[in-house]
Amino acid sequence: MGQVRDEEIGEPVAALGAAEPTSTIIGRTPWQIFWMRFRKDRVAVGAGVFLIALALLAITAPLIAHDLVHHDPNALFRDTLDEIGLPTVGPSAEFWFGVDTSGRDVFVRTIYGARTSLLVALLSTGFAVVLGILLGSLAGYLGGWVDTVVSRAIDLTLSLPVLLFSIGIAATCSITAEGCLGGLIQPGISLVTAIIALFTWPYIGRIVRGQVLTIRNKEFIEAARAMGAGTGRILLRDVLPNLAAPIIVYGTLIIPSNILFEAALSFLGVGIPPTTPSWGRMISDAARGQLYTVAWWMLFFPGMALVLTTLAFNLVGDGLRDALDPRTQVSG
Amino acid sequence: MKRYVVLVGLLASLALVATACGGGGGPTETGPTGATGGIPTGGILREETTDFGFTNAFDPTGEYLGTAWAIYGNFLLRGLVSYPWLPGEKGGNEPVPDLATDLGEVSADGLTITFTLKDGVMWQPPLNRPVTSQDVAFAFQRINTKSLIAQYGNYYCGTIVGMDCEGKSQEDPIEGIETPDDKTIIFHLERPTGDFLYRLAQPAAAPIPPEVAGCFDKAGEYGRYVMSNGPYMLLGSDELDISSCDTLEPIKGYDPDKFMYVVRNPNYDQATDENRKNYIDGWSYVINTNLDDIYNRVLNGEIDLAHGAPPAAILQQYLTNPDLQDNLKTNSGDRTWYLTMNLIVPPFDDIHVRKAANFVVDKAAMLQATGGPTTGEIATTIEPPTVLPDLADYDPYPSPNHAGDVEAAKAEMAQSKYDKNGDGVCDDPVCDNVLMINRNYEPWTEYTPILTENFKQIGINLKVRELDVSTAYTTIQTMSNLIPIAANAGWGKDYASPFGFDYFLFSTAGLSCEGAVNYSNIGLDEELAKECGDEVYEAWKAATDNGRNPLPNVDADMEACVAKPFGPEYNACWADLDRKIMEEIVPWVPYRWGSQNTVLADTVVAWEYDQSAGWTAYSRTAVNNGLTMDEVAQV
Repeated sequence: MGQVRDEEIGEPVAALGAAEPTSTIIGRTPWQIFWMRFRKDRVAVGAGVFLIALALLAITAPLIAHDLVHHDPNALFRDTLDEIGLPTVGPSAEFWFGVDTSGRDVFVRTIYGARTSLLVALLSTGFAVVLGILLGSLAGYLGGWVDTVVSRAIDLTLSLPVLLFSIGIAATCSITAEGCLGGLIQPGISLVTAIIALFTWPYIGRIVRGQVLTIRNKEFIEAARAMGAGTGRILLRDVLPNLAAPIIVYGTLIIPSNILFEAALSFLGVGIPPTTPSWGRMISDAARGQLYTVAWWMLFFPGMALVLTTLAFNLVGDGLRDALDPRTQVSG
Repeated sequence: MKRYVVLVGLLASLALVATACGGGGGPTETGPTGATGGIPTGGILREETTDFGFTNAFDPTGEYLGTAWAIYGNFLLRGLVSYPWLPGEKGGNEPVPDLATDLGEVSADGLTITFTLKDGVMWQPPLNRPVTSQDVAFAFQRINTKSLIAQYGNYYCGTIVGMDCEGKSQEDPIEGIETPDDKTIIFHLERPTGDFLYRLAQPAAAPIPPEVAGCFDKAGEYGRYVMSNGPYMLLGSDELDISSCDTLEPIKGYDPDKFMYVVRNPNYDQATDENRKNYIDGWSYVINTNLDDIYNRVLNGEIDLAHGAPPAAILQQYLTNPDLQDNLKTNSGDRTWYLTMNLIVPPFDDIHVRKAANFVVDKAAMLQATGGPTTGEIATTIEPPTVLPDLADYDPYPSPNHAGDVEAAKAEMAQSKYDKNGDGVCDDPVCDNVLMINRNYEPWTEYTPILTENFKQIGINLKVRELDVSTAYTTIQTMSNLIPIAANAGWGKDYASPFGFDYFLFSTAGLSCEGAVNYSNIGLDEELAKECGDEVYEAWKAATDNGRNPLPNVDADMEACVAKPFGPEYNACWADLDRKIMEEIVPWVPYRWGSQNTVLADTVVAWEYDQSAGWTAYSRTAVNNGLTMDEVAQV
């Protein structure tokens, strides 16, 4: 919708500008203002471009692996290893990022790792945001016992030792073939996503609850209620649009921490399945037994990918926050 | 009986886990660095480990860890017979007289064996008395006492008359053991037992003083109070107040969470001992949870020795740096690493699939991933040639350079019921998401990509679960989990006889609903399948065509082999059985005969490998660091 309105208003603005070069008061939607402010933030735009490129790389990873590099992520080139299984081939024309201790192409596994990282981070953030909005807005709007229950649930979740608890859940669900909760949770990507979402939603939930608390007594809500709107309609039509900015900002800032969360779980060996490429697992492979002293590329490339990706998400998040908050001054 | 088997199985595998943690490798040259005339005496041998790993808190009656056997044998306990503390090629697996004057006098029917004790073998202070035949008998009374949980009591119970490992009290004498005087002991056996001397050489059969051990009737308790009749003793053990059970305090030189220190036993007489050389003044064994740090400390000469293969990057230094090459020792570990396949779970309920698995696995890649030839040699059958030399050249599933033979594997797969179109690639849904249990640390995690790719070639898609070592064992030991295939398992010898290798792994004695070690379910019958739950019973019915086509059973073959006289005939019988298991049952893909690695600092000037325990022969090792225990011990 924002795009369409942009153009509707954009055209006359240009026409007016041509006719009357002196400054004019122009009607802009909040999204137009946001975009104007955001695109002036070169760092954030650069980070956004990086993320788009990364996403493209992740989406096209099978094509790149199969048709460009001709190495599948689990193909073993064991003649690149020495007698005791140490990789002998570093970054080279054949293997751009070198090989790991199984003789697999580190470049191909790094771009496949982007798939895993982005998939897990986006999915878990998505679930966390949905859950956080739902529970947070209900708690904030309805108050009373609903608020008490949700707020205590938030406190409880935030007080859990996250890493220990995740390791426990992941380990428990990995022992049997069926997974746990009667097969509902399978070890692997779905389990990791569920764990991360479970520990992330309170951050969104708490912010949403706070925002709703301040909004729910505003006059336009009173007006809507007076006109006979139900709770669902008020939440959806009147409250939610006013929460968009903080949700977008916090959602974007949670993504990088979720990427790191996934990497940490995989590093500890309780994350995604062993043969699925993952940056965390690649880093843990390289760290084991001082391997990086022999094959630095095993640590460097997935490590850089992880650092750059989380940095980019943080920069974009900062840019979004600055652009969406009318109180901040945008420089440049 | 059932519970007994459960227990033995569980504990046996615990021991295995523990020994497995020690490391892995291939039989090569050992040899001390010039162990001839001028070997210096004195100094303290300093060793570190990430974990003691004792299976029964160091109580000799139940302790099943190879490291502990090396400590008992070299330092603390002299049994009637023991080993010469040498590598296998120098007779290290052959029992020799120790506390006894000879290897015993066997009656014509093989049922009675008589030993005479040497003069001059004394217990350490504060006992200060000669070792008697009653002390030896007392050790067997402890093995027979149920509450003390003798983890390998099965070697004696059922073999020695009157022993059933169900005894109520360690005071109760055993019918089949006579001690007519302090120097004579007579064993009466139920049946001729070819390898009885090996069983006597186990640490649990070494004498134990009733004055101290009699105070402890629960498993593991005596581990803090072990008394020595050997060349060394635990630091501070001579200060025990043995006037009554109440005055005993744990020996200060052994803290199960921190350290163990041994020093010379003043009551030991070298003239009574031909095999222990006792160069060092003491030994310190300290827990350091940082594995990398342990090997760095050996490199820097801050400690003298560490067991197990160092991390790959450090291993590379030992292999490539000429100054270090002599400091890495590789010896046969007498152990086999294998994939185990479940006879009642598809697709491995089809023997052709199991044979295809044997062909398709790239054993060369597995060895390379483990760390190369230093860590062992490629296994082609169940028992390593160091235990059963008859099978040294036996390879029923050969492939070029042991890298796997995909064509032969496909030919086998094509004959299975899971390859309907006969193209050698499984086309049945049972081959999707086949669960494989593995360990979650190196080198096992390196096997995951190899095996996943190997099995994909015959259409089997493995879903790998990597678990910590004890969870992995518990998972495959629980029959109702119906694990199709597992890569976490290994088996090390108790003593160098095929019996200890084959018996529990393949007989129905190794079967139980929980704690089984016969992971493949060889010989599983309807009764036990029913007892272990509906899932197991359904799987058993499917795999046996409702019992019309029973699972193979080798119990009778084993009984026949046990009764053979020890020697060539005995070995030939077990070799035939191994061939039968490898070709007609095919429960395993054996892939590596593991070796034991030891890294030494330059301070170690004489070193020998003890084949019997698969560990350093401490009694033949010397250092020149000139340290004293006062400088080393952190008590």
